[in-house]
Amino acid sequence: MSEKDKLLKIAQAKKQWEEGVLAKGLARLGQSTSPCRFYTPADMEDHDFLEDTGFPGQYPFTAGRNALPIHVPFWGRGKAHGVGKSVRHAFGYSGYGTPEDLRDYYIERAKGPAPAGGPNIAFDLPSQTGYDSDHELAEGEVGKVGVAVDTLADFETIYEAFTGDRDIDKIGSNWTVNGTTNIILAMYCALADKRGIPREKLSGTPQNDILKEFAARGTQVFPVEPSMRMTRDTISFCANNLPKMNWTSVAGYHMREAGATRVQAVAFAFVDAIAYLEEGLAAGLALEQFYKQMSFLNFGGGMEFLKEAAVRRAARKVWAKIMRERFNAAKPSLWTYKELGGGVAGYWPMTKTRPLNNLVRVALGAAFAAMIGEPPVCEPPFDEPLGLGHSNEARQLAADAARIIAEECKLMDVQDALAGSYYVESLTSRYEKEIFDIIAKVDELGGAVAAIKSGWVKERIVESAIAFQRQLDSGEQIQVGVNKYIEPDEIEILIPRNSPYKAERLADAQQRKIAALAELKKTRNAAKVAAHLEKIENAAKNPNENLIPLFIEAVKDMVSMGEICQALRRVFGEV
Amino acid sequence: MNSPEKKIRVLVAKVGLDGHDKGAYIVASILRDAGMEVIYSGLRRTVSQVINSVIQEDVDVLGLSILSGAHETIAQKILAAMKENAIDDKLFIVGGVIPDEDISKLKKMGVDAVFTQSSNYNEMIDFIRSRVN
Repeated sequence: MSEKDKLLKIAQAKKQWEEGVLAKGLARLGQSTSPCRFYTPADMEDHDFLEDTGFPGQYPFTAGRNALPIHVPFWGRGKAHGVGKSVRHAFGYSGYGTPEDLRDYYIERAKGPAPAGGPNIAFDLPSQTGYDSDHELAEGEVGKVGVAVDTLADFETIYEAFTGDRDIDKIGSNWTVNGTTNIILAMYCALADKRGIPREKLSGTPQNDILKEFAARGTQVFPVEPSMRMTRDTISFCANNLPKMNWTSVAGYHMREAGATRVQAVAFAFVDAIAYLEEGLAAGLALEQFYKQMSFLNFGGGMEFLKEAAVRRAARKVWAKIMRERFNAAKPSLWTYKELGGGVAGYWPMTKTRPLNNLVRVALGAAFAAMIGEPPVCEPPFDEPLGLGHSNEARQLAADAARIIAEECKLMDVQDALAGSYYVESLTSRYEKEIFDIIAKVDELGGAVAAIKSGWVKERIVESAIAFQRQLDSGEQIQVGVNKYIEPDEIEILIPRNSPYKAERLADAQQRKIAALAELKKTRNAAKVAAHLEKIENAAKNPNENLIPLFIEAVKDMVSMGEICQALRRVFGEV
Repeated sequence: MNSPEKKIRVLVAKVGLDGHDKGAYIVASILRDAGMEVIYSGLRRTVSQVINSVIQEDVDVLGLSILSGAHETIAQKILAAMKENAIDDKLFIVGGVIPDEDISKLKKMGVDAVFTQSSNYNEMIDFIRSRVN
């Protein structure tokens, strides 16, 4: 029997089943139509295993970007997390207060069960948007959502927690900064120079995904075009000087959090990534010189886990095609992206009421991540919506949930266990097409830069966010404990929470930081500061000049981030 | 006081450096659907810019969206500026990621209502209508 005949037979059999067994079953339960659907091979009619799924680590990578998911061999080392390769991995997104506060936090953390690994630094909003701690707009924000960094002195203080066998040539650092990336990179280079460490030994990841800031996260510092020039500077500076530094972490995640649908989040992340790669090529680099240092954060998530699993599988395949067909990359090693993965439930579905339910949400999502070969990371900790900063208790529960998924449920034992599911495969193909449709639409609009500039991407995201909210309001979408099951007999369960951050330090962080900055400004050579700023302002006018070397020299003379950004704003304009 | 026929006017504003505006857009859209006239300030406004808009646009309600943890500082400054400009009769609402312990602090300070991501939108609409009309 031919394949086509087999499928025809199945389709016929399904019809009989629907009219017979199913109809009877529905009638017995008093249902006129079935609320569920059963999928068969007929639903993935054109599916070809080798062409559409393939083997992990092999084109089209639907079943996995790597032959063996890279988190698997490192899993379960627990307290010995610091051994071997994983010492390079930054972990534990953290940051608050002044540089001294964060340094002390890292010193404390080093005494705990997972001492190694570099810092994954959260910066406060003034540091992310290029304002010094003493700026009017910074009032109330200093040290709040992350650590306050004004000058190289601050960076030196934070990194006092990383010396000796954890010096910056041995660890990796993560920085959640976008618009101010190149100044942070300059500070890291300056720190290495001062410590006598060759710059090429530095490794890390600044987020540096500026296009999604305009679309979703809102910490852009300069208008779109000069922002892209800054990105081009990052790419070529890293390619020529910092071969181990990832120059971006492309984040569909933030766009999903801002309301994008799962397909939009992947498509928008890809069009942004395409724009960055084109910048690198326009700077005269070959893909081989910079592609491997492009990383992705993740695409965000949501609660409909089978769909989330399918869209991530589709993403792997779409990207492989983009690299092969659009960029004509010949080497298979250029067909996959570096990505953290995990976090299938996303952050936005977390609820403030009955917050322990969030642990259930992320753990279930993480189980699905494991079933498509991604790490079962149970992020965020359950108390995410309760305020800023996760408690030790919530972090413990999240870590344990991941361990249970991996080591009790053994969900990492099979690679892409969802491969071959009639439903998941048919959905994967559908999402592949939908992602390509959006990419084609953006191309039509002139590419990501044009689509961001015109506000088109942002409008689509807001539109999706509002549409979802309407579904929540109408009860079409359910959030347990929020819009359903909220009668008075339901119980609100809270457990004790202790912050790893010191509340008393947070309380006066702003005053201490402003005082320290004022003190530092007195000890600087004012003439040198002015000379650096003038040089930077002039160089900014020449789009072919890479500004990072100038930033490195400037930060060494304690020119502040706010001052550098102010000089750049005079040339680039404000947002 | 507004006559029942007059549309309630609302300014949804972002003060400070917080770039998360999903909530602001959603609230603006929901209040518009409820028949109110809504103006959105855009990102990174200063307190004085927002107060000027409240006066110039003659809104009935100022709704501030804050997810950066700076709600106490910013609300305090807004309240002081409202008093100084003799517009403290207008409704002042805060929304965003606000820990429970801070909600009572904000209300004590003089904020009329606080809504978070798990709040019910109808509650917000009813609250505004009951207080403005």
